[in-house]
Amino acid sequence: MSTEPIAEELRDATVTRGAGGVIIELAQVDKFFGDFQALKDVNMKVGKQEVVVVIGPSGSGKSTLIRCINRLEEHDAGRIVVDGVELSNDIKAIREVRRETGMVFQQFNLFPHLTVLDNVTLAPRQVRKTPRAEAERLGRQMLEQVKIPEQADKYPAQLSGGQQQRVAIARALAMQPKVMLFDEPTSALDPEMINEVLESMKELARTGMTMIVVTHEMGFAREVADRVVFMEEGQIVEVGTAEHFFTNPSEERTKLFLSQIL
Amino acid sequence: MTAGGVTTHAGAWIRQNLFRNARDSILTVVFGALLAFLTYRALSFVLGEDWEIQRQNMRNSLVGPEISGTDLWAPVIGIWLIAAAVGVMIGALDRSQHADQPGAILDPLRPAHWRQIAYRTVARLWPVFALVVFILLLTGSTTGLLVTLAAMALAFLGRAAGVRLPLGSVRWAALATALAPIVAVLIIRFGFGIDWNDWGGFLLVAFAGAAGIALSFPLGIFLALGRRSKLPVMKGLSVAYIEFFRGVPLVVLLLIGSLVIGLFLPRSLIPSEPIRAVIIFTLFTAAYFAEVVRGGLQSLPEGQEEAAKALGLPAWRITSFIVLPQALRNVIPAIVGQSISLWKDTSLMFIIGLAEPLRLASAFTRQPEFRGQGLITLTLFFAGLIYWIVSFTMSRESQRLERKLGVGQR
Repeated sequence: MSTEPIAEELRDATVTRGAGGVIIELAQVDKFFGDFQALKDVNMKVGKQEVVVVIGPSGSGKSTLIRCINRLEEHDAGRIVVDGVELSNDIKAIREVRRETGMVFQQFNLFPHLTVLDNVTLAPRQVRKTPRAEAERLGRQMLEQVKIPEQADKYPAQLSGGQQQRVAIARALAMQPKVMLFDEPTSALDPEMINEVLESMKELARTGMTMIVVTHEMGFAREVADRVVFMEEGQIVEVGTAEHFFTNPSEERTKLFLSQIL
Repeated sequence: MTAGGVTTHAGAWIRQNLFRNARDSILTVVFGALLAFLTYRALSFVLGEDWEIQRQNMRNSLVGPEISGTDLWAPVIGIWLIAAAVGVMIGALDRSQHADQPGAILDPLRPAHWRQIAYRTVARLWPVFALVVFILLLTGSTTGLLVTLAAMALAFLGRAAGVRLPLGSVRWAALATALAPIVAVLIIRFGFGIDWNDWGGFLLVAFAGAAGIALSFPLGIFLALGRRSKLPVMKGLSVAYIEFFRGVPLVVLLLIGSLVIGLFLPRSLIPSEPIRAVIIFTLFTAAYFAEVVRGGLQSLPEGQEEAAKALGLPAWRITSFIVLPQALRNVIPAIVGQSISLWKDTSLMFIIGLAEPLRLASAFTRQPEFRGQGLITLTLFFAGLIYWIVSFTMSRESQRLERKLGVGQR
């Protein structure tokens, strides 16, 4: 992208704002659960270093969308390309994409039988074949980044929800991914813990990480999102800057949804 | 605390827990009387009966009638080997668990630690010690005493070696402990050349039970994973296997193994009777283990597997690092229950004519000097005692393991 697109152009979900090139591309993606169509003809691109926030009512397909990007869900039609690798049934391609794509879940999904440090170092050691000492050095560095280095030797159950979610972020970062996917990372947290997680995510955005974040935290969107995508019933309804959504959303459905969450 | 303090404390405890109100007091008195009566009867049975029949047949009970003379050293060496390996294992575990506080490691070579070691060992294994003491008192055998003391000394020295191993040798110590019984079996069978058919008594069922558990557990895990497989053939075969072996009584399977297999295999290829029994126990119990493990697999939240996938872990590593450790931990009580069940089922080998403790117990009463005196109560009591003490010890060890792995506090 040679010139920064103007706000009007950003209304198209395939126009990106990143620094140099597209890293994720979804073209005409459909996804069905039985008879229920979770994604309908989704077209979207994400640029390198871009932060995209996906909002929408529950059941709108926003979680399905990001779960298709690392193939936790299989799309039924269309193309999904991540960093030049197209997702298909090829298990090698899938694992290549997953190596480069970190994911943070609503329910943290830490491994309860492993210490915090082992949670963080497992994938680098087993997937990247990083030697233990190197992996632990990296792991502690990641825990440092999310501001909980002192918890390294505890078990997840001994941590608060906010701390657990920050460990989950560190665990994903330890694979040094090119893209981070966040699936409602603060929805399961007590209110007083939401900020510490959002702070970690903002910090990450400032380092230039490419991020897709499913969330209702509009304050976060306003602060760090390059673009906001509003979904409903499996379709992308409206796209724009956070500012656009706050000031003059064009679709009636967007206005209605925003009036409910703001 | 002074002696008076202890008394007051005990008195308070008794009032609080046993005589809190009229109802509690009545229950305490009634059940206390019942317990005292049963204890009295049990003790007067054990102490009052003439145990001559069991005294004369102790060797038969322990290793069967076919092993005698110098061959008796075979099982003795096996026991020594296992005792030493277990000692090393416990020492290495102690070392690794107190890596950050070396002062807490119990070292057998430091006399100051002897009391602690003795106390913990007895607290942990008192049922086994009670049995050994009973046997030694009954037989009055000096050799038996020396063999026992040597086994304890080996475990003691093994522990001393274990705490001196470098950190991180726990897995090697565990491997050695797992290999020790295998080596013991090989020594008895091939070192001393004692034919499978000559194994008897407690030695036979200990071998059949341990081999059955050790072999059926991995097979059960494999079947449980197979049953959850997305490949229809794998899934179908696993389901068929599990449903078949759960649906047929073990006794029928043992008889099939004993009688029918001979019709299909050339004589030279037929394994001997005890081995066939072990194979049947393994095949049978694997089906049950499979269902137990499947329960454990289902207890895991889906998010565990998803998180592992999202990190790019390959399927078999997800299974071995994430899924199985948690799933198995969640079903330890059922796994132990199944193991105890198999252990007790080994007495069914009497159906196919093997010299297991039950058959021996009744055979002793047909010896000329003991015939027709109703002594089967004594011999059966002893056979049952051995079964019970092993089961009880397994159960206690599993509770320890559960506490250690923190089941239920995820």
